[in-house]
Order: sequence, then structure tokens, then C-alpha cells
Amino acid sequence: MKGPLRVLVPALLILIAAGTAGAQEFTKYHTYAETTAIVQGLAKSAPGLVKLTSLGKTLEKRDLWVLEIASPAGVPPAERPALLVAANFAGDSVFGSELALAVADYLVKNASKPEVKACLDNAVVYIVPRMNPDGAEAMWASLKWDRRTNGTPVDDDNDGRTDEDGPEDLNGDGLITVMRVVEPGGTYLVDPEDARLLKKADPKLGEKGVYALYMEGRDNDGDGFINEDPPGGVNLNRNFMHEYPYFKAEAGRFMASESETRMLLAWLVQHRNVAAVLAFGENDNLIASGRTSSGRRLDLLAAAEASIEGAGKTGIFPALGGMRGMRIRGGGGMEMSITPEILTMLMGSGGGQFMMGPAPGGAGPQGQAATQTTGRRNMPSRTAPTSPLAPDAEYFRLVGSRYAEMTGIRQAPLTIKPEGAFFQYGYYQFGVPSFSTPGWGLPETPRASGQGMMMAGGPGGGGQMPPAQAGGRSATAFQGGRAGLAGTAGFDAAGDAPQAVDKAILQWMDKEKIDGFVAWAKVKHPDLGEVEVGGFKPYAATNPPAAMIAEAGKAHAAFALYLASLFPKVRIESFDATGHGGGIFRIKAVVANHGFWPTSTAQGLQAQAVKPTLVQLQVAADTILSGSPKTSLIRQALNGSGGRAEFEWLIKAKAGDRITLKIASQKGGGETRAVVLK
Amino acid sequence: MKTKTLVLFAVLLAGLVLAAPQAVSQKSSDPQFKVKLDFNRWHDTEELYADFRRLAAAFPKFVKIGSIGKSADGRDIMLVTVNNPDTGSELSKAAMAIEANVHGNEIQGGEICLYTVWYLMENYGRLAPITRLVDERVFYLIPTINPDGRQYFMEVAGGNARSGHVPFDNDNDGLFDEDLPNDLNGNGVIEQIRKYVPGKGNYRISLADPRIMEPVPYGEKGDYLLLGQEGIDDDGDGQVNEDDLGGYDPNRNYPSDWQPNYIQSGAMDYPMQLPETRGEVEFFASHPNIAGFQSYHNNGGMILRGPGSEATGEYPATDVTAYDELGKNGERILPFYEYMVIWSGLYTVHGGGIDFTNDGLGILSFSNELWNGEQYFTSPELKTQQQDPASPIAPSRSRYFFDDKLEFGDQFMEWTPFKHPTYGDVELGGSWKKTTSRVPPRFMLEELCHRNMAFTLYQADELPQVKMDEVEAQPLGGGVHRVFVEVSNPKVTPTILEKAGRNNTVRPDILTLEGKSVEVIAASWIADRESFKVNPTVTTLIDQKNLKRILLRNGTPGKTTRTIMYLVKGAGPVTVKYDSVKGGVVSKTVDLR
Repeated sequence: MKGPLRVLVPALLILIAAGTAGAQEFTKYHTYAETTAIVQGLAKSAPGLVKLTSLGKTLEKRDLWVLEIASPAGVPPAERPALLVAANFAGDSVFGSELALAVADYLVKNASKPEVKACLDNAVVYIVPRMNPDGAEAMWASLKWDRRTNGTPVDDDNDGRTDEDGPEDLNGDGLITVMRVVEPGGTYLVDPEDARLLKKADPKLGEKGVYALYMEGRDNDGDGFINEDPPGGVNLNRNFMHEYPYFKAEAGRFMASESETRMLLAWLVQHRNVAAVLAFGENDNLIASGRTSSGRRLDLLAAAEASIEGAGKTGIFPALGGMRGMRIRGGGGMEMSITPEILTMLMGSGGGQFMMGPAPGGAGPQGQAATQTTGRRNMPSRTAPTSPLAPDAEYFRLVGSRYAEMTGIRQAPLTIKPEGAFFQYGYYQFGVPSFSTPGWGLPETPRASGQGMMMAGGPGGGGQMPPAQAGGRSATAFQGGRAGLAGTAGFDAAGDAPQAVDKAILQWMDKEKIDGFVAWAKVKHPDLGEVEVGGFKPYAATNPPAAMIAEAGKAHAAFALYLASLFPKVRIESFDATGHGGGIFRIKAVVANHGFWPTSTAQGLQAQAVKPTLVQLQVAADTILSGSPKTSLIRQALNGSGGRAEFEWLIKAKAGDRITLKIASQKGGGETRAVVLK
Repeated sequence: MKTKTLVLFAVLLAGLVLAAPQAVSQKSSDPQFKVKLDFNRWHDTEELYADFRRLAAAFPKFVKIGSIGKSADGRDIMLVTVNNPDTGSELSKAAMAIEANVHGNEIQGGEICLYTVWYLMENYGRLAPITRLVDERVFYLIPTINPDGRQYFMEVAGGNARSGHVPFDNDNDGLFDEDLPNDLNGNGVIEQIRKYVPGKGNYRISLADPRIMEPVPYGEKGDYLLLGQEGIDDDGDGQVNEDDLGGYDPNRNYPSDWQPNYIQSGAMDYPMQLPETRGEVEFFASHPNIAGFQSYHNNGGMILRGPGSEATGEYPATDVTAYDELGKNGERILPFYEYMVIWSGLYTVHGGGIDFTNDGLGILSFSNELWNGEQYFTSPELKTQQQDPASPIAPSRSRYFFDDKLEFGDQFMEWTPFKHPTYGDVELGGSWKKTTSRVPPRFMLEELCHRNMAFTLYQADELPQVKMDEVEAQPLGGGVHRVFVEVSNPKVTPTILEKAGRNNTVRPDILTLEGKSVEVIAASWIADRESFKVNPTVTTLIDQKNLKRILLRNGTPGKTTRTIMYLVKGAGPVTVKYDSVKGGVVSKTVDLR
């Protein structure tokens, strides 16, 4: 009575105190060092429950932490179905990191709650809170710009110089925003609906452009482009293999070129028990109810970044088949000025004309018709699907609508096109249900608000836990962490009208009193003369105020528990033996999936990414006289909610023998059971 | 005194003998080679590596042994570099990379690599073209990129040596590589198993040749059952040999057009998952001077180029021109070999090595499929004879004829009795050794090595090489000069492949103009200097902001001269430099007065 209690009570007090402190932690964004302290603290606070490992170190020697959260008793974690929560593939998606930490924190601190215990007893939750710590750290730099990339130096404009033209803070506010410059060729004018924004002049309406847009900075390398080669290189969410954006910005030199990418892939190959993926970041297939967002970026930024599009294209000169006597505008709005005198000098005294003719020095050998073919039979080239297979799409829709109910999020904020995104790998190549969400939402349009149940989650109001079991009916709405977000004017989710996103973000910022926009102000540019600097603050439109973290974290912890409750659960439903005399026994077994999801997605089967369910009778192969073979593989998915497969063997044995059956489903666990022959 | 003279004479004589051993002790006019190697037998990984070490020891100035990483089983993946340090550092010269044996069973490329280094070294200083190649180029050779597969192939005939040795669960039972074929009778060959069941079998011995087993026609009975490959049920799961070593295709693991396993079988879970692939990719990616690549495979007699898949799209015309010229000459160097595109001539390959080197790194790349069965009976007369089914060299019987009359029964394994643990009394045999069919007979290996080396040295000679003519300055008055610069690439290979230029996979060639107090007013392409003087016509103004540092993203194509005309204001010496990562660096200086 004395010993244990005395120890226990102070320990409990400490736990509670730690819990309180922990809750307060989720009111700010955390640096890598702070994140490390949090995950180490969690591992220390519950050593049996939490295991902290690292995928490895990044280029800048930061660890990619992995938390493994599972009850220690029972089936070894590696054999239980697992949920992988991963965040911050793009360096500027730091909100996702905080959500991932909050989910971990919630699971650890509420491990004894029935729905959490059920999850951690039967499943495992792996959490990788910060995939791109080298990129994310820029959020705390003295000069802030929306850095999505990791630390790999990349010569973005391929001019033989690496990272030589980054941004400069011209107005001294510590933020890199946008420059608008009055230029003869400018194509933008002030948006009459919101003077902070700019719209593209429409010649059909008789509008004439005034401004050219650039990112805030100088042309450091004198190539005519501003900020076209900043430090860093690869957005990890564009470095995975599905629909990999070959040779595009921030995608890396080739697929899986980054060590972070390969460390996660290598880890996943060693953790085939991962049965679902939840990624927090710049892609969405949850808010839009299973539809994958094709990307929605801030137009103001996109227009400024478009000024460097030509940076990797100058210097392609025709080689065969004629050079054209036309000048290609160099891009960046910096046209060379060629005076008539220069032209005369170039052409020689006789003047001359631009020539339409062959390449300098003549063409090489003419391209003959390429190689012959031998007439061998060509294998038809297959291609991978780019939208979920029909049976999977239904599950995705279902999960998406539950997500909306549980979080109250109806309108995705900014997203980027999922090319080479990690969560796409999760479904299309790893073969498991895989989801991504920014983890917060914008106020939805009034039209859309009628579609679902919506309750404003006031402070503390979003903390109710929905049941972890599938089919639970309780829907706790979570809406942006603050009351009053719903119902404000927004924009059509499907619409991609210019400025629609920019306006929605501004309205949200205004409503929430978020100081997220730098008002345009005149600045003397060292090269361009007078310009105006302004626009969205870095990180402000991609990461909501830190005050939202705690509540969003709770809602997403609930959602993670919901996902983990859907796993297939493959068990031996029955296993019996009957004697036929003469040492002949008939063994019957029924294997069933009592979980919700099938043992594999349709894509997992097609991609051979999910192993068939193994059913093996543990007897010498030559004692089986008839019936199923010793080792069977259930190649089709066993559906959830009781999908069954039956097996029967006739074996030679003797009464008193103990016969064992082993089953193993990669995503649905397994079981071993014995029967003693009578 | 007399003794002294005699001793002196003896010393002098000995000195002479030592200094010029050939002059004194050799009568033959044929060259004596420094290193004696076998090109009439197959080398396992260790033997191959040992021979390269001998070459490095004999020619230490030129041949260096390195490693690009460790294989799955922990073997070094040997890198052999041939470079003449006196003519410049490695990175300053265009390099030819040569890889072999990515499929463990496709061994003969390893011997070609060995032959190549041996030939270059033994003939350096003797044959002018070889001397020039060694002086102008760098050679990177990876004699086996799959040392585990090669060793397994050489030790255990048969089995799945094509794969590497990263464990793979072929039978989906959660265990890895746990049921390999077994060489039960220990004769070094994985054979077939047959069981004699008089009147109850489904196979019989052919009347045409007792070595041929044939299925019995419908309604008849045979005396034999064929029971698959030599082996036992190692893991007791009721199946035999169902989970061999590895079980993937290492040449589908590269990061260009990589597709998952169900689209491209053998691709593994992600590109560069294999340590061998990753080591090679990292080496190539960090050596931008590599301008040519050859990956030796077997077999079929092909000179393959990409793309591996139709969906990738044909290469740009300039690139095809270069490939075609090299490939067509390759057909002349390599009788019975045909130049073709992988997807249209062979089959579709996603994530293959030479797709990566061409598309991902801008390296002009071939893959030779070594050895063609047509080379057994080569004369037109014999080819005609083979069309007669009664001929002893008719296709169904030709390999038996060849084995009897030319290889003296070396290749066929006769049936021998064996007591199998579960099948009882059986016979093992009826198989061809690994050294037949996909590789040449040993006595034909040296010719295969030489001809393929010759093609690859031809490609090495045709790597880009930039030249610059004397720069000419023409005063226009007012302190302004026209400056004419001619840059040429007399070789077949472009300094930058057109596809690489469009995709920015190679650093652009950079044309700089430097002078203390000069300003470039304009720069333009002209057809050529002499025509311009007669008919001054500009083809294109170069529209780049910094005309003292002009980027040429697609470089200088093969066998092409580009002429640029600057308009320069100022005086004094002006240096024009053309800097190409694959074509070298050239510069010229002209004085503006």
C-alpha cells in the first residue's frame, strides 16, 4: 500500500503537469530544436508506449524523427496494422508539423482512454512530424521567404552558378514579398475590387496594363531575372515517383534524388504493416471528399514568379533545320536595346536583312530515318492510373465526408498540384488508403455551407472526441479554431477564377485580424528606380495563426483514431478437426476480415503492393492427402465487415496431435491457432 | 688489369641485355605484351578483379582501381579509371563510361572491359590512334555492376543469377530467398530432374537424338516425368525452389521513366533502391565529363539505343543524327549485330540504365547485346544448309552438332542417377551448361571482346571536342571592333545533346569574352566569317542580358561550326573562351587596337 501509491501519486501529478504544459505548447510554431525536445519528451514520458527513432540525417545534419506509438503488450507492433502520419514535405508547410506533434501528444497523454487504448492495443501509429527540417527552419530566419525546398544546392536556372540569385529585403521589413514596377510592357493593374490585389489587364475590356510583377529582390547575377536561383533546391513533395514532374522547378534532378525521400521510402519498405497514410501539407483529397485537388496557388505570387519562367530557357539555338531571323524576347522584361547604329555596324556597311537560313556553319549529316526495327513483337506499354480505382474511390469519399464532419473544414486553403507528392505514392505505389490535407480551412461559401452539418467550434468546443469505432455518429465540428469563420463570403471551391483565392485569403485575414499582408509602399530599387513592395507575408497564407493549432490538433487526433479504427482485422473465425478413422482427419478453417477496409485496396492488388493473405497449415507437406495445399494465398481482397474464405484439408495424423494454423495479412494482422486431434 | 676489363665488359653486356631485352632476346616482330591475360575462359568476380589489379600494378600511371560502393552482399563494385594525368585532370576531358554485367548472368561484358584496359595499355605508344585516345579521353569502367550476380552465376550454374542479391520475397510468404535451387549432386550445374516411370510418363526420349526429351503426343505414353529444376523444398511449404535469390531486374531500377513493379516487372519499390544502382547513379551524376556510355548485356547481337518506351517519345533530330552515324558504323564493326531502338526493336523497358544516362544526364548511350546465335555457323553456305531439316546442323540439332564436333561435349550434361529426398530414384541432367547459348564458346571470346571494344573506342573517339579558330578583330572606327569567333566540334557527338539542352540536364556551354576595358555592345550568330565579309548578313541576335557570358544550352552539335560575331567597344587584349563540361575548354586572345 505504501510504496507504490507514494510513488504513483507524485508521478501522476507530474504527468498532469506535463500534460498541461504540453497543451500550452501547441500555441506556437516550433523550430527543429523545439520539435526535437517535444518528441524526445514524449518518448521519455512514456517509454513503454513511445519509441523514438530517426530515419537518418538530412544534409544539414538534422534528424528525421519517427515516433512509434503502440501498446507494448500483445502482438509485436511490426505485425500490427499501422497508420503513418507524416508532415512538412514542403518546407513551408509547418502547420502540418504542429498537427502531427499534437496528434502524437494527444495519443500519448490519453493512452488510457478507451478509444485511444483500442487503437494502440490493436494498431501502431507512426508519426514523422518534420520531413523537411532544413527547409522549415527558414520560418525562423531573420529574412523570411516562402521556402519550400530542402538544403540541396540546385542550380535552378542551370547557368553554371548555384544559388547565386536569392531574394533581397528592399523595404527592410524582414519579409520577402512582391515588387510591382511601372513598366511600358506591364500587364497588371490594380484590382478595382480590392486595391491590395492586382489583376491582369484584359485587352478585350480595353484595359491597359501598368505594372510588371517580380519577387522582391535584385538581379544579382546580371542575367535579366530576379531571384531565379535562391538557396536550396528540392520540395520533397515533388520528388516521389507518381506523376513525377520531370525537369520542373523544385522537383529535384531526378525522381527520388533526395536522401530524405529515399530514407522514408527505405523505411516504408521495412514497415509493410503501414496500412494507411495521413499526410499533412499542401495537397488535399480529404476536404474535397476524396477528390484530389489539382492545386490552387496565390495568383499574386504566381504572377511574380512567372517573371523568371524564361530563366532556364535562354540560350537554346537552332542547330539543324534553320535558325530564324527573329529575336526572342529575353524574358524578365529586360529587352536589349539595339539602336539603328548598332544594327548597321553589325550588318556591315551595306546594311542587310535578318536572314531566314540554315544554321551557322551548316547542318550536320541529315537525320536519316532512324533505325530499323526487327519486327519483334513489342510489348504494349502500360500506364499507371491517375485517379483512384472505382472501389477505392468509394472508400475515399466516405472517409472524406467523415473528415469534413469531424473537423468542420469545408474549404481547402492553398494547395499545389500533386506531382511527385508523397501521399500519391502511398496509394498508387504503396497500395494503401492514403490521404492528405492542409489541416485547416478557409471560410466556405454560403452556397456550400448548406451541404453538411456545421457547428462553430468555440474555444474548447472542438475537444470532444468522436468514438474511434467506424460508424460512430457523433460529429464534432472543428472550424478554424475560432468562432465566426463559417458563413463569410468565400469563393466557389471548383472555380479557378483569377484572384479568387487571393480574395478569399484576404477576407479570411481581415475577418480574423491576421496581419498577413504588407501594404504596397514605394521603395527605391538600386537597379530599377522607384518600385512598390507589398503583398502576402511569407508563411501567412500557408500557415494559419498558431492559436489554431491546439484545437485542430485535437480534431486531427480524433481523425487519426478514426482512420486506425478502419483497418482490416483478419482473424481465424473457426478452426476444427474431425476424425475419419484410420488416422485420417478433416481440418476446416474459416478466415474472416472483421475490420472495415478490405485486406487491400483495389490498387494495392493491381500494383502487387499488398501481399495476399497467407494461410498455412503447419504440418509436413506430405501428410496432406487432399484439399488445399499446405500454403495458400488469398489473392483477392477479403472485404471488411465479415468477408470470409474457407479452407479444408484431409491429413494423415494421429489422435492427440496438435495441428496449428497460421494466417497473416500484411495490413490486417494475423493469428495462429491450434486444434488437438481427437 | 685484364680481369678488370673483362668485368667491365660483362657489366656493360648485362646492362645492354637489361636495357633492351627485346633487341637481344626476342626474334619475333610481333609485340611482346607486358601482362598476360586469359581471353579463352570466364572469370568469376574475384578473378576479374585480380586481373584488373595486375593491370593497375603494371601501368600505375594510367590505371587506377577504385570503388563506387558495395553490393548487397558487401562486395566492392570496382571502378577502373584509365587516364593520362600528363594531359590534364579527369574532369577536364570527355569521358567514356563502360559498364557490364548488370544482369549477373550476362558476363562477357566483364571480359570486354578487361580486354579494353589491357589493349589500351599494351598499345599505348605503339599505335598512334590508341595513344591519342588515351591522351585525349578518360575511361571509366565498371567491369561488373552486379558482382554478386556474377559470382553466383560462376559458382552455381543456373539459378536466378540475372537478379542482384537484395532479398526479395518471391512467394509472398514473408520469408526472403529461403528456397533456392539446390545443386544436389554437387557438379556445379542446376540440372533438370526426370523420373523413370515406364509407360506412365508424359515425356519420352527423342528418336532424333537421345539427349532430347520430348512431350509425348496425345494418345501415346512416355516413360519419363520431368520434375523441374534440381532442388528440394528447403522451407517445407510444399513447393520446390519457389523463392530464389533476389528476384528483380537491376536494369529497371534507374530514375528515368521508372515505373512501379506492376507496370515494369522487376522495378523494385523505388528507383535506386538497389545499392549497385545508387552507387552508379551517384558516380555518374558527380562526373559531368562523362559524355558517352556503353552498357554491355547479352544476347542477340544488337546495338541498342533509347528510348526504352514508346511513350517517352523519339529523341530530337540532332540527337538521332549522332546516334545513327555511330550505330550504323557499329553495324560495320560488329558483323551480325543490328543497330536498333530498345522499345521498337527489342521490347519496352522502363527505368533502364541507358534511358537514365541519356535522359537524366545527357550522355549519349548505347547498350550492346553481345553474341548472336547466328555466329555458330557463319558462312552463307552453312546458313543455306541449315534450312534443310535433315541437315545435322538444322536448327533443332545444331547445338548438339556444335557441342559434339567443336566443343567435344563440354556443354551438355548427361543424365546421371540420383536419390532425391522426396522424389526417390531420379536422374539429374539434360541441361546445357551456363557457358552455352548466351555467351560465345570460349574460343570465340577474344574476337567478341575485340570487336565490341573497337566499337566503344570508336564512340570514345567521337565524343565532343571543341576547337576554336584564331579570333579575328576588324576595326570599325570609333573604338568599335567586330570580333569573329569560330567554335567547332568536329566529332559526331554534340557537346550537349539537344534533349539535355531542352531539359537542362547538362550545364550549358559558356562563351565568355574578357578584356580589361571593353564592353560588348551586341553579339550575333552569322553563317560563317567568309560569307559574311562578302554578304554581311546576321542570322540571329543573341538576346541575353550578359553578353560577356553567353549561355549555349544546347551547346555545339556534332560536326558543326558556330560562328559568333561580337560588336566590342574598347581596346586592349580580349580573351574569348568556350567552356563545355563534356567538350573541353578552349580560348583565344586577340588585341584590339
